[in-house]
Amino acid sequence: MLIYLHIPFCDSKCYYCAFNSYVDKFDLKTKYMQAITKQLQFELSLFKPAKNSIKSLFIGGGTPSTVEAKLYERFFEILKPYLKKSAEITTEANPNSASLQWQQEMMALGVNRISFGVQSFDDKKLKFLGRNHNKKTALQAILNAKKAGFENISMDLIYGTAKDTKMLLLNDLKIVKSLPINHLSAYSLTIEKNTPFFQTPDVANDSLVLAKFFTKEIKNAGFPQYEISNFGSYQSIHNLGYWAQDDYMGVGSGAVGFLKDSRFYPCKNIEKYIQNPQNRQIENLSKEALHVESIFLGLRCKLGVKLANFNQKELEKINILLNSGKLRQLNDRIYNSDYFLSDEITLFITD
Amino acid sequence: MSKQSNIRNFSIIAHIDHGKSTLADRLIQECGAVSERELGVQMMDTMDIEKERGITIKAQSVRLDYVKDGEHYILNLIDTPGHVDFSYEVSRSLASSDGALLIVDASQGVEAQTIANVYIALENDLELIPVINKIDLPAADPDRVKEEIEHTIGLDCTDALEVSAKSGIGVKELLDAIIKRIPAPEGDKNAPTKAIIYDSWFDNYLGALALVRVYDGQIHKGQEIYVMGTKKKHEVLNLMYPHPLALKKTKQIKTGEVGIVVLGLKNIGDVQVGDTITDNKNKTAHAIKGLEEVKSFVFAGLYPIETDKFEDLRDALDKLKLNDSSISYEPETSVALGFGFRVGFLGLLHMEVVKERLEREFGLDLIATAPTVTYRVEKTGGDILEIQNPSQLPPVNEIEKIMEPYVKATILTPTEFLGNVITLLNTKRAIQEKMDYLSVDRVLLEYSIPMNEIVMDFYDKLKSVTKGYASFDYDQSGYKEGDLVKLDVLVAGEVVDALSIIVPKQNAQSRGRDFVKAMKEIVPRQLFEVAIQASIGNKVIARETVKSMGKNVTAKCYGGDITRKRKLLEKQKAGKKRMKSIGRVQLPQEAFLTVLKLD
Ligand SMILES: Nc1nc2c(ncn2[C@@H]2O[C@H](COP(=O)(O)OP(=O)(O)OP(=O)(O)O)[C@@H](O)[C@H]2O)c(=O)[nH]1
Ligand SMILES: C[S@@+](CC[C@H](N)C(=O)[O-])C[C@H]1O[C@@H](n2cnc3c(N)ncnc32)[C@H](O)[C@@H]1O
Ligand code: SF4
Ligand SMILES: [Mg+2]
Repeated sequence: MLIYLHIPFCDSKCYYCAFNSYVDKFDLKTKYMQAITKQLQFELSLFKPAKNSIKSLFIGGGTPSTVEAKLYERFFEILKPYLKKSAEITTEANPNSASLQWQQEMMALGVNRISFGVQSFDDKKLKFLGRNHNKKTALQAILNAKKAGFENISMDLIYGTAKDTKMLLLNDLKIVKSLPINHLSAYSLTIEKNTPFFQTPDVANDSLVLAKFFTKEIKNAGFPQYEISNFGSYQSIHNLGYWAQDDYMGVGSGAVGFLKDSRFYPCKNIEKYIQNPQNRQIENLSKEALHVESIFLGLRCKLGVKLANFNQKELEKINILLNSGKLRQLNDRIYNSDYFLSDEITLFITD
Repeated sequence: MSKQSNIRNFSIIAHIDHGKSTLADRLIQECGAVSERELGVQMMDTMDIEKERGITIKAQSVRLDYVKDGEHYILNLIDTPGHVDFSYEVSRSLASSDGALLIVDASQGVEAQTIANVYIALENDLELIPVINKIDLPAADPDRVKEEIEHTIGLDCTDALEVSAKSGIGVKELLDAIIKRIPAPEGDKNAPTKAIIYDSWFDNYLGALALVRVYDGQIHKGQEIYVMGTKKKHEVLNLMYPHPLALKKTKQIKTGEVGIVVLGLKNIGDVQVGDTITDNKNKTAHAIKGLEEVKSFVFAGLYPIETDKFEDLRDALDKLKLNDSSISYEPETSVALGFGFRVGFLGLLHMEVVKERLEREFGLDLIATAPTVTYRVEKTGGDILEIQNPSQLPPVNEIEKIMEPYVKATILTPTEFLGNVITLLNTKRAIQEKMDYLSVDRVLLEYSIPMNEIVMDFYDKLKSVTKGYASFDYDQSGYKEGDLVKLDVLVAGEVVDALSIIVPKQNAQSRGRDFVKAMKEIVPRQLFEVAIQASIGNKVIARETVKSMGKNVTAKCYGGDITRKRKLLEKQKAGKKRMKSIGRVQLPQEAFLTVLKLD
């Protein structure tokens, strides 16, 4: 089992981002951090994890570093007994707000992995994306993480923007290589509804050539790929848990939880969430839906999909794919040879 | 209440877009048959597809009350379509009218369908009132247009009316002219009931409905009637007067009137257009001379994308046939597409409209194959085959000769486009038969053209080379031998029978090349590379390759919100469901109409 905690606050809103976060509701932070402890207790009573069983906690957002470490204390106190000793405990952080002190305090609470939203080291591209930090602050934040004692440091990059050139991407990677990090996420820019970028879709550059180039160069830089957008000598337990369809608690306004065949959606409106943190929408997932999810999740990462999951008709399609080299088979699982085709292959199999 | 001598039954006829429906709306308004709220909306074009395309497809009847000098008149007006594909609607409407308004656009003048529709009216011996419309336009030149009418049609225009359907100028005068010049219906009110069904359609609540014109006697509610063609008796459940917005119930339809007869029939074959209704106990001696049956001459396959929807398609065709008796259909099978129908149409627009109506009104997803005509194949043994599907063409060594249908086409064009038009015609194997200058700047052309050349998209091409100024009409004119071959198309190495076309041997090579090129543009990239080839006999003459797809994935951070990702995928899946799987290749619907994209 996994647990995800959502922090719906940001210092500023990036032009591309549709995640649930607010820049003007900081006065609700204290109340919010109380509410999450209430929801946590409720979730624990529902998911009933055994003591020392939870493999991973991921604090994401929004921007977890906009909330002072002290406000997380109660949450950790309640959760601790259920976390495995070796649990992966990750927090996301924004280079601007993740001070050395904040990082040290979070570490003291038990956080053992930190992931920075860097997006790029090119100041022009950062501005273009509406980020509130620059190359210098990003480098400083990462060095601080090392100083604080983090061994698992990760960062996010965004590619596929109109600003991208092979040169720019290579320069970013050159810097990446010089940093003490062991994990990298590279996301291709997605134009989301209700974001400033939605009005100007030509900010994206969905070039396959560039995407393949960047992926290859990341691997060459010493970060083996284990999912379409995740790379590293270290592979996140939390990520792998999602893709293997593990159960996860989702705590916070904008989080999502998953148990067996249901997904839970706590209220996205912070005020309403604070009023009633246990109130969630429930989505029941059909066998068919779970089946499709298992396929596209397995095909976009190194996990692959178990052959026993497929019916006769699907197996015929899989045979075509195996024969033409689009898929590989190893023991009782199939693996995708080209993550960039994972959705198309899923459609082909389940059609 | 109303006297038979105060009834006027008339149609409005014209070339496409000359303003028939607008004028009909005006007349309805002038007679006060609409509420304030309904004013301003297009009334006559009731189907969505008519509103969207801005053209009339179905003739539409309306009964109006008009009072003049204390006399109460009943006007039964039929608005007809102008497009050549729907001229059958004009014939039916005129057959049940006593007169017609011939509308001519004051700036465009006489066009091909103006002439064609006048001929239909003259065949029916109808009183024609020339009406020059759109006189509000700056380019209007009513005098020139009147001269043109007199010159080309020989219709006296001294008493022609000048109106603007848009602004209402001259509409009152037009109403007076209708009353004065169109004769009242003849007919004996004491004779046995005699009425012709001139339209019918299916209503989900009321069942099959018949729109009739009563010639003798009357029809009343509760009457037991007898349909002379089908030889069946029915009870009249209800009667209504036609109106595009609000049908009005009535107890009887009198001599000379038109009305809708509700028989509560589920069996839609029971009220055939052209059939005669009479009284069951007191039958009329002779049925009305039926309407000439139209014969469809453009044929295409219609197939449900989901193969288990074949029966639904049959049911939909049965129902649509009631509303559009000009379609014909027979089941056929295709290796590629499964079970479907070979459907006969009156032209390409008609085909498009029928397909769209089947999809909209009956919730079907359909694939249409390329339109073709009926070829007569003489086999070496002497047998003669009529084929309407290229894949039925026998192997070359069994064919003695192939005969193809021709049309006589009439084209009117401004002289400045004459060169363009002739160049276009030359690529269509057309033979000039007549060229007549109507004035210094307008020419009338008559050509003999293989029908196969015009059923594709000749009309669109003609419009584009003349900036929309040329008009076109045609009539079937018999068969001639053609030097023709079958062109097959292979997708991923397999012949797709539904893509085969018959082409003149002399352009087979270039057609094949153009065909595969056009297909390449239409077929989306897939997981696998797709070879598209054209072949004649077994010889491949052209090939293109659709490269395999490079990427279909969103490389994005979803966290736990996997549902969101799945929904995006489901959307794509729904898109693919509208494509047809041929082996491992998925072809979009348009791929089967690739031939229409060729020059
Ligand atoms: N300026 C002007 N425009 C008109 C007049 N009458 C009709 N129109 C316009 O001409 C176009 C065609 O009008 P319709 O009434 O749809 O023509 P139609 O003859 O019914 O066309 P089909 O049914 O498709 O043959 C529309 O855009 C009308 O608004 C008129 O008196 N003056
Ligand atoms: C949930 S966000 C939180 C990270 C943190 N708030 C920050 O940005 O510093 C995680 C990552 O998702 C990626 N991301 C967010 N919106 C995206 C979009 N529209 N397209 C591509 N990547 C996006 C960014 O790389 C971002 O760092
Ligand atoms: S990318 Fe991160 S910092 Fe930017 S708005 Fe989204 S959550 Fe906030
Ligand atoms: Mg009209």
